[in-house]
Amino acid sequence: MRLELKNIDKSFGEKRVLKGVSFTAEGGKAFGLLGRNGAGKTTSIRILMNVFSADGGEVLVDGKPIDYDEIGIGYLPEERGLYPKKRIIDQLVYFAELKGMSAKEATKAVDYWLDRLGMTEYRNKRLDTLSKGNQQKIQLITALAHDPHIVILDEPFSGLDPVNAMLLKDVVKEQITKGKVVLFSSHQMSYIEEFCDNIAIINAGRVVLHGDLHEIKRNYARDRLVVSTTNAERLKADFKDACSEAENGALILRLASPDDKQATMKRLVENYDIDEVKVFEPSLNDIFVEYAGEQI
Amino acid sequence: MKQFGKILKFELNGYLKNKIFVGITIFLVAAIAVAMFIPNLLSLFQSDEAETPPAELPVMLVYAEDSELSELVKEYFSETFTDYTVTVAEGSVEDIKAQITSGGAECAFVMHNAASYTYYVNNLSMYDSNVAIADSVLQEVYRFTAMVQGGLTAEEASEIMSVRIESSTATLGKDQLQNFFYTYIMIFALYMVILLYGQMVATNVATEKSSRAMEVLITSVKPTSMMFGKVFASCIAGLAQLVSIFGSALVFYQINKSAWGDNAIIQSIFNIPVDLFLYMLVFFILGFLIYAFLYGAIGSTASKLEDINTSVMPITFLFIIGFFVVIFSMTSGTVDNVAMKICSYIPFTSPMAMFTRIAMSTVAWYEIVVSIGVLIGSVVGIGVLSAKIYRVGVLLYGTPPKLTAIIKAIRKS
Repeated sequence: MRLELKNIDKSFGEKRVLKGVSFTAEGGKAFGLLGRNGAGKTTSIRILMNVFSADGGEVLVDGKPIDYDEIGIGYLPEERGLYPKKRIIDQLVYFAELKGMSAKEATKAVDYWLDRLGMTEYRNKRLDTLSKGNQQKIQLITALAHDPHIVILDEPFSGLDPVNAMLLKDVVKEQITKGKVVLFSSHQMSYIEEFCDNIAIINAGRVVLHGDLHEIKRNYARDRLVVSTTNAERLKADFKDACSEAENGALILRLASPDDKQATMKRLVENYDIDEVKVFEPSLNDIFVEYAGEQI
Repeated sequence: MKQFGKILKFELNGYLKNKIFVGITIFLVAAIAVAMFIPNLLSLFQSDEAETPPAELPVMLVYAEDSELSELVKEYFSETFTDYTVTVAEGSVEDIKAQITSGGAECAFVMHNAASYTYYVNNLSMYDSNVAIADSVLQEVYRFTAMVQGGLTAEEASEIMSVRIESSTATLGKDQLQNFFYTYIMIFALYMVILLYGQMVATNVATEKSSRAMEVLITSVKPTSMMFGKVFASCIAGLAQLVSIFGSALVFYQINKSAWGDNAIIQSIFNIPVDLFLYMLVFFILGFLIYAFLYGAIGSTASKLEDINTSVMPITFLFIIGFFVVIFSMTSGTVDNVAMKICSYIPFTSPMAMFTRIAMSTVAWYEIVVSIGVLIGSVVGIGVLSAKIYRVGVLLYGTPPKLTAIIKAIRKS
């Protein structure tokens, strides 16, 4: 299954929120939708879920316009909250029923997920008696119980303790192996790096970077070297402005051109006491800051 | 449609499991029960009272210079004022006044002549009708005396005085008095239920929004299903509440029927004609729906519960204005005035105005058809519109949006 957003345009009043947003997410892989606050992530997600209609562009599944009666979507919104005063089982079954399940199927599915997330003891309790992390697990059930084709998780890890985060990771991995399209939106880059094969970075309503995360990293201009040496001071003095210090104490050498890589490495090894030298591969964080940090 | 049913069921359950809702209904049913048993309860007390000797009657004094006149007046007054011991006063007017202020007598009629008197009383009660009664008695006495003096015999005179006019009234249209009470009850019930349930629908929507349950709902459900489900659930809950209240009233009335005797008001309420009852139901449901939709739409534009009270005010005012037009027209008896005629075609007022006119006047069938047609059309139109406002409103947070902003957003979507 292949989910595709094509040239989506959307304005609210005078403000153009999305300017031709396009990206593709594959089934069986996780997709990371990144962007700063207000970049247009939530609007893209809402258009994808047919809450808003787009001013232009289309949402396609396997090349055809999406049929919302056929394709189930599960959504964990960033703004969490359900009915605080209602019993957990009642509202979970209600939400699953709204997604098209029968009452019987819904109860069965909800009970499975309550058990899976270790929440069975709260089944008949009111939601507002639960801790925030547990409420979040309950909310996750609303996104998964109806076994949707597309799972959209907006900041799924915020507010979870490490044990629950592990549990959620397992659940997410399971959804991926089931062949679903899993769409992540998060500011916690480490999770995106861990799960997502493909990413798109949205900045000010435009997709500024889109593709396979490993390839993006590999294609990233290979014009920097990470150097670990005992002659740090001398090296700094020799390279002057081209040399900067990374957070972990290693030195970063910026090359005039990626073609200088070989020559510079040779020079380093010959002239200094080098422990390690390698091409600098940016973290997702670095990429994000570079692409999303400007232009706003 | 499937979603609509599920939403309806869920929302209805919400009402029926609400302790306050159930509590109020039980309280009202109990209050009605007590009210309907009142005649029986009263008769219990009355039978006790009958055994105790009657209390001493207050004294009414009659005085005239002419002792023949005072005796005559006393005779007639004794027959008429059975709540008083009527006696002829002696002494001067000053003595009589002193007797009244001291409490020895309650009131006095000091006759200047057969056609003129002064009524003395210590504190004139709001409900004191002695003067009016005395006037008519004295008129009769005066005429009788005049006739006898004119040469008629006493028998002839009393025959003339006591002639009875036979009459009967044939109502070809509506008996306003008879229909007044259930019209009043229906208007008042509609008033209460719309304000109460309208507020509940608005609060319900705003709560979902402020608790962010909306974020999940709006991605699962069509706004029209959501809006219609909520509003119909509240309508059913409201009707269920009214049915249990009035139904129990009817049951308790049947139990106590004999004790109520032929109390005209109570009888007219419980003997409502079937066609009027059906009109009542139709106008009630349609009137309820149109307002509930508006309240729901307003609720969706509020992001905090506190905002609701100010946001719903225009609707509440609109409704109250209609209510007062109808109530004033009803109590003045002119239910077919221009204001009422206009109001009976405006969908926001027609449920009250048209029903009142049907119940208390004669309205042509085509007028009713037009009124109901306009109302049904408006209910559907406002329902769809409110669902659109809902769709736009529920995802707007912050200060409630201006009306123009909502209209713009709806036209865009």
